[in-house]
Amino acid sequence: MPLITNDGQRIAALRGDSMYFAGIDIGSATTKVVIMNGSTDGKILTSILGPTGPEHRRLVNRVMEEALGHVDLSLDDLTYIVATGYGRISVPFADKQITEISCHARGIVSLFPTAKTVIDIGGQDCKGIKIAGGRVQNFVMNDKCAAGTGRFLEVTAEALGLTVEQIGPISLRARSSVKISSVCTVFAEQEIVSRLAEGVPVEDILAGVHDSIAARVYGMIERIVVEKDVVLTGGGAKNVGLRRAIEDKLGYPLLIPPEPSLTGAIGAALLGAELARKAAERGQPVGGKSRHLAEATFFT
Amino acid sequence: MVLASCLAPSGGNYRLAAEQVIRQALQEAALDLEDLDNTVATGFGAANLPFRSRQVTEISCQGKAINHLFPSARTVIDVGGQQTRVISLDGDGRAVGFAVSEKCAAGSGRFMQVIARVMQISLNEIGPLSVKSANPVSFSTGCAVFAESEVISRIAEGWSKEDILAGVHNAVAAKIYNLVLRVRLQPECAITGGGAKDVGLIKAVEEKTATSLLVPEAPQLTCAYGAALMAMELV
Repeated sequence: MPLITNDGQRIAALRGDSMYFAGIDIGSATTKVVIMNGSTDGKILTSILGPTGPEHRRLVNRVMEEALGHVDLSLDDLTYIVATGYGRISVPFADKQITEISCHARGIVSLFPTAKTVIDIGGQDCKGIKIAGGRVQNFVMNDKCAAGTGRFLEVTAEALGLTVEQIGPISLRARSSVKISSVCTVFAEQEIVSRLAEGVPVEDILAGVHDSIAARVYGMIERIVVEKDVVLTGGGAKNVGLRRAIEDKLGYPLLIPPEPSLTGAIGAALLGAELARKAAERGQPVGGKSRHLAEATFFT
Repeated sequence: MVLASCLAPSGGNYRLAAEQVIRQALQEAALDLEDLDNTVATGFGAANLPFRSRQVTEISCQGKAINHLFPSARTVIDVGGQQTRVISLDGDGRAVGFAVSEKCAAGSGRFMQVIARVMQISLNEIGPLSVKSANPVSFSTGCAVFAESEVISRIAEGWSKEDILAGVHNAVAAKIYNLVLRVRLQPECAITGGGAKDVGLIKAVEEKTATSLLVPEAPQLTCAYGAALMAMELV
């Protein structure tokens, strides 16, 4: 549905359903795109999750094209596009770039209005976000060290000849959790290999690995004071073993979004909708630059 | 005077490794175990000697050894396989301060091993290759795991192995430098441990510290040498 345009600028109608919003979350490991329709907590029309990679950052337009293809829309049909994540500057057609902290918080709040603490375990980083009144109150992050991130899980899986998808379920079968004393991924990998050579059951080793990540993450988020309800999100939330380990540390259950990888992109789209609505209420144009799908040329 | 020395990987079993090297060294020196008057054990696995011995910290042993070899040394950088230490010495070789890398592989020999493995280059080649670089890669991370991915990306982008290795050495040198700052560099400065066999690392650390480094002939053995010197004093 084409937008009303006036002098090349888009003026959003206040009516809900004819507006479409997109959130793009370019993470260090994966890129997520969500397109939703325009009501307050809009329905997701399509979503895409793909590997970021060094090439993909320049080619985020292709991911966008694919998403648009799913819903038979063109770029200009989108009222507002918000980019977030590590690679958000490489989205030239975005109307705004917003930090992933704000986007994850917004996405989580839309799914779990009672959420006060968010734990986000990404491919190469992990974050803790404190929410109050629907807004980010505090946050803490580790992106310097592989410990506590999805990378640790990948290294573990590889050391044991398993896939990342397998290690969570297998860890739940453990009789007893083996203590992994190294925080560092490199040294922990060594411990894993040694334990395996000693004949320790794989499930016990895996339980120990997941406990180690949970301890690392918990140590980090304690700094922002953990309060219920606690939501676990990011790619790491798909790992049932990690959920179990963190719940053990907390002493109560976690809330898990149905699509943990997408909460950033969902939040981005929702924030875009809010910005568009505010602009429309003030009679201001939305966005304002003409867009085209093109490679970012400035990204190195 | 050193009669014999032996070096072997610790492997998973420290006791076994200790027995093996002792046996070999004694053989080379044409001595029996009973001929030893005193033994001092040091290092991570020091408690695993198959017989009674004194245990002394690596920091004290390195200080002793370096003071013996280089009496003018007041700072020692010990780059081990898993940990790096920087030690401040007084004129008698006693440690008056030190900084140790925490539970992190960055800044230790392990970082080099991880990268050497992914580049499929042997550890004794990485140094000589790296010094040939004219344009070192700049790494955005200090973490060995993330650096491994960056190395793979740089290879895919066509960077030369010399430039990648120079960048890796610079990254490790940067971590070492952070440790040096914690004890404050006093000249002269020596470098030892397995990392001191790497000419690329020596060059990178010299550049970072703006100092020229004293390097022992057998850097992997200085700690044991220091322990032997300590044992001599026990008599």
